Amino acid sequence: MKFMKKLSSLLLAALLLASCLPVAALADDVPYDTYNYDYWENVVRIPAPYVPDGSISGVSLGCGAFASPQDICVAPDGDLYIADTGHNRIVVVDGTSHEAKKIIDSFENEGETDTFNAPTGVCVSENEQLYIADRENQRIVVMELDGTLDRIVRDPQSDVLPAGFVFKPLKISVDYADRIYCIAQNMFQGILVFETDGQFSGFFGTINVQLSLWEKFWKKVATKEERQNQTLYIATEFTGMDIDESGFVYATNIDETGKQGVRRLNPRGEDVIKKGRNEDVGGDLWTGGSGAYAGPSQITDVVYRGEGIYSLLDRKRGRIFTYDHEGNLLYIFGGLGTQEGTFTTPVAIEQWNGELLVLDATRAQITRFAPTEYGGLINQAVALRYDGDEALAVPLWERVLELDENNELACSGIGKAYLSAGDNQSAMKYLKLGMNRDYYSVAFKRYRSEILRAHLGQALTALGVVLVVVLAVTWLRKRRKAKKASEEGGLVG
Amino acid sequence: MKAAFGKDKWQYLLYTMGHPVDGFYWIRHQDRGSVPLAVLLVICFSLCFSVNRISANFIVNDVEPATVDSLQELSGVLLLYALLCVGNWSITCLMNGSGRMKDIAIAIGYGCAPMIPALLLATVFSQFITVDEGAFYYLIIGLGVAYAAVVMLLGIRQVHDYTMGKTLITLLLTFVAILCILFVSLLLIDLIGQVINFFRSIYTELVFRM
Repeated sequence: MKFMKKLSSLLLAALLLASCLPVAALADDVPYDTYNYDYWENVVRIPAPYVPDGSISGVSLGCGAFASPQDICVAPDGDLYIADTGHNRIVVVDGTSHEAKKIIDSFENEGETDTFNAPTGVCVSENEQLYIADRENQRIVVMELDGTLDRIVRDPQSDVLPAGFVFKPLKISVDYADRIYCIAQNMFQGILVFETDGQFSGFFGTINVQLSLWEKFWKKVATKEERQNQTLYIATEFTGMDIDESGFVYATNIDETGKQGVRRLNPRGEDVIKKGRNEDVGGDLWTGGSGAYAGPSQITDVVYRGEGIYSLLDRKRGRIFTYDHEGNLLYIFGGLGTQEGTFTTPVAIEQWNGELLVLDATRAQITRFAPTEYGGLINQAVALRYDGDEALAVPLWERVLELDENNELACSGIGKAYLSAGDNQSAMKYLKLGMNRDYYSVAFKRYRSEILRAHLGQALTALGVVLVVVLAVTWLRKRRKAKKASEEGGLVG
Repeated sequence: MKAAFGKDKWQYLLYTMGHPVDGFYWIRHQDRGSVPLAVLLVICFSLCFSVNRISANFIVNDVEPATVDSLQELSGVLLLYALLCVGNWSITCLMNGSGRMKDIAIAIGYGCAPMIPALLLATVFSQFITVDEGAFYYLIIGLGVAYAAVVMLLGIRQVHDYTMGKTLITLLLTFVAILCILFVSLLLIDLIGQVINFFRSIYTELVFRM
């Protein structure tokens, strides 16, 4: 008895001790929500795909605090360019040492020293030239990377531009042929395109205003005076841009319906983006509620991250949405707040050395996000699928499932690999978990014909036997009845 | 009067499915139908409806199975059934309908019957199809719904001895009546709630003063 008592108290003590020991945190300790939407558009919590990994500010670079910086850009050689709008300068950060390399605040223009006035956009072309949207000077400055002026683009001339149009460039992107794509202030007709020689060649990717039936009805009914007093139906302005390796422009806009926050524009300016199964590339699907925090996401910038993956930055709730080339949401993270890793006014997003950078204008700093194992695995697996190496992605997806067992993309990925390997039953299992109707159907069709081929003979034989037996029995019965009838008839007769 | 679930009632249900006009005539004039059987059919329909929503293959099923509550759906279906019967009866009473409450209940209840095999068949069938063959699944359900609608319509017409035009008009008015019933009952529930609140506040007042 005594021994038992001792043992039990010992066990209890051990248990108490164990409960005091630090437990490996399952949920990553990040100051923001990390989630995704499942097939039924429910919010599903996921492990953190990216975690905050320090920040870059003017102070940390030793060049004085930034003032309302508006844009960042990563050059092909890995250097980071920051448009420090309030201080009229461009700060260049070295790609390897992460230290301030150079500050461009003036340049030689026809023998005189020239300066910027509120540079809001910066871009480095593939041909290693620096493009600066110098907003208040109403011009685009093109310079070599060492800071010498190459040319200045200003005053676009064209019949399609409204009279008295003041050209105030906000954001800028340059493709492989040195064509300049420029988002200008109060220009609702689309992105301005300048040819290599600086000539304005036209608008690009115009967003058409879509009136609902109701609005059309009221427009018909309203008198001319009433119509004049109504607010104009104006297409939304673009907010940010990026260009992928084949020259397609990803351009974001603020969509009031929250359905499409980004367009992928082909060289003719047509939107060719692929939308996922919920027909939505506009950020959050759940936007209800009241107050300033509710409402559709306001996508303010986009970064093309290679292999079809792109990330959108939402300034409404400070979230970063990452999609693959098919429009599937990969993961969502980020939030507004005051802790490290959250934002106040996020304005620009870039990818730098495998990390994501988000520029916050109010806090005048860049937050760095490093991928976790989970985020990195998804990125790699999606990249493998994009390249057509679906089979190679299977071990990655399996590890993703260990970290997040409800990941539908992972289930789909594994299912597809099983399908191409010929294991239809496993493929069906995983594709069903991944809610992939089309591929499940393919797997099921193969499985069904497999079963039919194997058992059709037996089934037909069984059917034949049953048929013969039934026929025999009815025949026998009939005969017996007839016999009886004839016997009875015989008796009567 | 035979038992409510007697063999003859079941046989007559089958006969009515095949010959709605004839069947409902004798239900009206010779009491060949059974109200308990009709209610049972409505309950069965509701259960099959839930089963379909829960177990139909995900290829054709847009419903999240976890959100389906079959008891809630059953109470909803029964409430709708009761509202339809009462609504239709209150309108046809005023419009020279010869059907009694009993006949209306039987006509609507029996009308649900074709949906039961259709839903069950579709649910089983959905387990063996691919996305491309989904049209057949919807065809089965569509046929069931159409059959049910025809039986219900003919049943209501026959028990009231109406023309088709008048049946449709009374059905339209039935929906108006249902809306009125719902409105009045919501009003009533709200007022009762206020009265209860009134007495409860008197009670708390008394308790606090004591």
